[in-house]
Order: sequence, then structure tokens, then C-alpha cells
Amino acid sequence: MRKFLFALVALTLLFVNNTDAREFTAQQIMENVYNRPEGKDRTSDLEMILVNKFGDQRIRIIRQFNADFGKVEKRIMFFLAPADVKQTCFMNWSYEEAGKDDDQWIYLPALKKVKRISSESKGDYFMGSDFTYDDLGDRHPNEDTHALLRTETIDGKDYYVVESVPKEEDSMYSKTITWVATDGSWIGLKKEFYDEDGELLKILSVDKVEQIQGYWTILNSTMHNVQKDHKTIMNLSKIKYDTGIKGSMFTERMMKRGL
Amino acid sequence: MQISTRKSRNRAVGIVLLLALLLPAAVLAQIEPPAFNGYARTYVGVLFDGERQGDYAIVQNTLDLRWEQKRGKVGLYVNPLLYHYQDRADPLDLVFRQAYLDVFFDDFDLRFGKQQIIWGKADGVFITDIISPKDFQEFLLPDFDEIRIGVTAATLNYYIGNNSLQLVWVPVFQSNGYPRADSLWAFRRFDLPMEPTWDMSTSEVPANIENSQLFGRFSAITSAIDVELMAGYLYDANPTNHVTRVVDPATHQWTGLIVRPEHHRLSILGGSFAKTFAGVVVRGEGAFYHGKRFNIEDPAFADGTIEKSYVHYLIGFDHNIFGIDVSGQFIQEIILDYHEATQNDQYTNTATLLARESFLRETLTVELFVYYGLNEGDALIRFKLTYDLADGFEVLLGSNIFTGPTDSAFGQFHENDMVYTKVKYSF
Repeated sequence: MRKFLFALVALTLLFVNNTDAREFTAQQIMENVYNRPEGKDRTSDLEMILVNKFGDQRIRIIRQFNADFGKVEKRIMFFLAPADVKQTCFMNWSYEEAGKDDDQWIYLPALKKVKRISSESKGDYFMGSDFTYDDLGDRHPNEDTHALLRTETIDGKDYYVVESVPKEEDSMYSKTITWVATDGSWIGLKKEFYDEDGELLKILSVDKVEQIQGYWTILNSTMHNVQKDHKTIMNLSKIKYDTGIKGSMFTERMMKRGL
Repeated sequence: MQISTRKSRNRAVGIVLLLALLLPAAVLAQIEPPAFNGYARTYVGVLFDGERQGDYAIVQNTLDLRWEQKRGKVGLYVNPLLYHYQDRADPLDLVFRQAYLDVFFDDFDLRFGKQQIIWGKADGVFITDIISPKDFQEFLLPDFDEIRIGVTAATLNYYIGNNSLQLVWVPVFQSNGYPRADSLWAFRRFDLPMEPTWDMSTSEVPANIENSQLFGRFSAITSAIDVELMAGYLYDANPTNHVTRVVDPATHQWTGLIVRPEHHRLSILGGSFAKTFAGVVVRGEGAFYHGKRFNIEDPAFADGTIEKSYVHYLIGFDHNIFGIDVSGQFIQEIILDYHEATQNDQYTNTATLLARESFLRETLTVELFVYYGLNEGDALIRFKLTYDLADGFEVLLGSNIFTGPTDSAFGQFHENDMVYTKVKYSF
């Protein structure tokens, strides 16, 4: 009898999860993740701790400003540490228009001029970290084909498990698998990245999430390269939303002037 | 020329005192704690070719201090460098690379003091980048932020959205810096039939308002293209050598030559652009110079010079190929309405190539940079390997190889092939 009751409860839970799964297709889940409210603009300090397989650490600190201007989303990053990259500035404009490449510029204090750089190399690693430029950006759900693999309960919370296969042939990943909370926050718990041979390459785990000014925000996360056994810990602090950042923040003037 | 004389040091100290006076006491009282950063560096180079093989090309220690304060609408920046040369009689060389005061407004900024002003889209080539003179005491080998000499100037930047208009007034002309005659990097002299007498009476431009220089630039960065348009009324930072023949009236034979260097007025109009095409950044830069003088061997020209208009331009690209950052540039200099006896070629063509790749999470960087003179087949080949031992601590191993005919721009230094190391700690 107890076995029967346990099986009934398990079936009921599975049914509930499957009900959730039926409510949203994989495409809808990833669109909800993509469209998760992030405010009109955001200011934050980003600390990246690069840890090698021997446990040695290198630290990069960046102050970043993002703002959504409708058809274009702009980001500017001021590098604060280490000392040899201080005053370097990176600016990115990404467009809503399908197929339009991002525009990117970098200001190098040694050259004292703003240089336009190509945004094609999204597979390049950002500042020696385990995050590629593409990992750091908002990948549009239409760039992948999504499949809902299952729902899964971890530490008492339910997650959609969605597999995403890039549509472009030259992607550096053969697929990614994302665990997305079913509670309506549309925050991912973790994400696995598989290399071109289908082998697990990296695992992104979200360590701390908070609601700040009503927006769900990932505060701490870790990207672990399981093949090379090094990782990058990313900590976000001093987060402010909707402060009314003006367009004049995202200009050549600010790149040269700095903070 | 970099500040190495007492006169120049006094001028640098004067700039700092002037800035201190310009900064109102009330503002000073509100200023936040200053931000310090900079680096310490040891640089040792050894020649490995020619008669001086095994000699040190350079033994230099450098302390670069950058001191910055910002408060509200004002900012102060001072950047002294102290060079120490182990192998020189006067081993210390204090340079104030920059020392300026900023005033920020909503739509415009003002900057007063000694500053590096860098224009254009070219890498390693100076076409519209002509405001800050260049220090060629070690040819083109120092880092580019060390080659450019700060100039005392007043600068206005006016902003309209992503566009800016910059006006620069340089009250006192400053020449490019050149190596001493006994330096490894002393330039090959232009061809003369006998040893000349030097007349330095016009080698400096008198400091007065009439001799000041003016520059203007419009700059825009847009989604479609980045553009700069510029104009300048300036002095040529390279002096022209006027040659006077001394003739014996009895025999009508030459008995001597007098060479008199003089900087001449120039007008310049130019521009540059950068645009991305299918992942490739295409860059261009060009300028038209009016009033430039060249040396000439035609006896009809009594002082050995001729004035001609001159065009200098480049076209280049930046692209990532198989993970390697590659940049290429083709540069051409054209003397218009060319006179056959001019010492310079009518067309001087140069190419540059840069290839760079990082490994080990960007801690190890390998770089190759080549200047190639297409007219003479001469080249400067620079190889660098940089390893970051820790954040802000790097070790660099490199080599500079010069090839080509001995009378060519790079080939003249063919005995100065060197390997070198730099150890740098940034703080």
C-alpha cells in the first residue's frame, strides 16, 4: 500500500511537471528567458576571478553601464583592474534588427585613440576568462533550435531542461543544455556547453540570485571549463536599475575620458 | 626632443606650477584623494650583428607615474617619467610626458597644459597624427605612447551626440626629437659632396604668437562608419636642410657647403575612416600637405630645396584569421608636380603587417610586426613574446631585425639588429 501511495505521489509530481512543460514549448521558455525584464538601464561592478587548475587566481574588475534604447542596446565597460589594463574601455552596440552585427570599439590608453574592432569573433574568450563574448551577450532564441528534454527537481525547485542546438554551422558549441526555473523568474540554474565533438566543455552554474528593484539578478556565477579544469568566478555588485543613463554615456567622449 | 636639459626640466616644473595656480584653491579643498598608477620597467637590449656585436644597445630603467585627480567639473593629470641609463655619463632623464588641467561642461571640455594629442586611424604611421611631435631618439622602437611627445596646448572639445569638434591651439612649436650624432640610431645624412658647416641660426622657431599652430578636427562614430576630418596650420616637425655652396670667386670652385636646418610652415587637410565589412575592419587615412619642402640636387635651386605639395595616405584592414589578429596597411607618399632632381622618390610605398595571438588565457602573447619599404626592399621585422607572470607583471622577449640597402630607411640600421628583454610591473 505504501509503495502504491509513493508511486501515486510520484506520478502526480511527474504529471504536475509535465503540465508545466506542456504550458510552454522549449522555444517559449527560451524566449521568456531572453525577454526577462532587465530594466531600461543597469549599472554594476563586475569582478572576474580567473582560477587555474593549480588554484592560482587573477582578478579583473570592470564597471559597466547598459541601456536599452529600443532598437539598439548599448553597453560600455571601464576596466579598473589589473593595473596594466586600467583605463581601457570597451563599447558595444547591439541591434534588434535581425542579422545586423554588433558595432564594437575599444579605447586603449597606450594608443590614446578609439579603435573600431570586428564583432565577428564572438567565440573569443573575454579577457582570458572562460566566458566568450557570445556567452556574455544575450543570444537571441531564434539563433538556436530548442527541445524540452525534461523537467527536473533540484534542491526542491523545479527546472525546465532545454537543449539548444545552434542553427549556424560554424558555432563553437554543438549544443547547450540549460536548466530554467519554472517559478516564473526565468532564471537559469546552470548551463552546459558542449564542444564541436559533442563533448562537455564548460558548465555555468548560478550561485546566487536576488531580486533587486524588482528585477531578478544573477549576482554570483561560475564558469568551469571541465576539459582544461580552470574556472572563472563572476561576481556582480553595486547594481542599480533604471537610473536614467543617457545616450551620452555611450560615446567616444566617455571612452576617452573614463570614469 | 625629450626633456633632458636643465632648460627643459625647468619648463616642465613651470607647467606643474602653472597648473597648480590655475586650479582654484576652493576646488583643491574639495578634491578627492588622488589616484596613482604607473609602472616600473627594466629594458636591456643587445646587438647581435655587425661590428658592435655583443654591445648593449640599451640598458634603461623607467619609472612612469600617473597622478590623477577628478572632482566635479575639473580634473588634473600629471605623468612624469624618470629614465635611468646605466651606460650614460648623465644617467637620469626626467620627462613630463603630460601635465594638464581639464574643465568639463555639459557639451564641451577644455584642456590646458602639456598633452599628447593623437588623431587618425593608422597604426605605426603618422599621417594626420601630426600635433604631438615624435621622439625618434631610438628610431621607431619605443612603445608608441613614448614616441609621442606631449605639447603645451589649449584644447576645446565640443560634442554633438556621438560627434565631436576639436580645436587645438599650440602656442609654442616643438620639433621632432632626433638622436645625437654618435647614437646607434643617428639617421644617415642626406648625400653631400663634402663635409658641411652647420648653421643652426634658424633651427628653432621663435616662440611668439605669430608662430603658434592651429588645428581642427571633426570626428564621428556611427553604426555605419567612423569618420575624422581635420585641418591644420603648423610648422613641419622635420626641419628642411637648406644647402648653400661657398664658391671661390677666383676659381669658381666650391670651397665649402653650409647646411642650415629650418622648419617651414605647412597647411594640411586630411581625414580618416574605419568601417566593418563582413567581419573585416577596413581603415583609411590620408592628408594633403601644402608648403612641404624637399631637398633637391639641381644647381638651379640655390639653397638646395624645392617646395611641393605632397599627399600621404594609407589603406588598411584588421581581421581575425584562424584565431590570429592580423592587420595590414599599404602606405603611399606622393610628391605632386615632381621635379626629377628631388632626393625623395616621387612615390614612396611602404607596407606594414601585424600578426598577434594570445595563448594560456591571454597570459602569453606572440606578436610579429613588419615595416616593409616597397621601393628599396628594406624592412624592420619586430618579434615579441610577452608573458604575464602575474596580474600587472610581464616579461617580454623581443628582437628587431633591419634588412635592405644601407642607404634605405630601415637598411641604414642593418648593424643594429638586436634582441632585448623588458620586465615591467604595473601598479
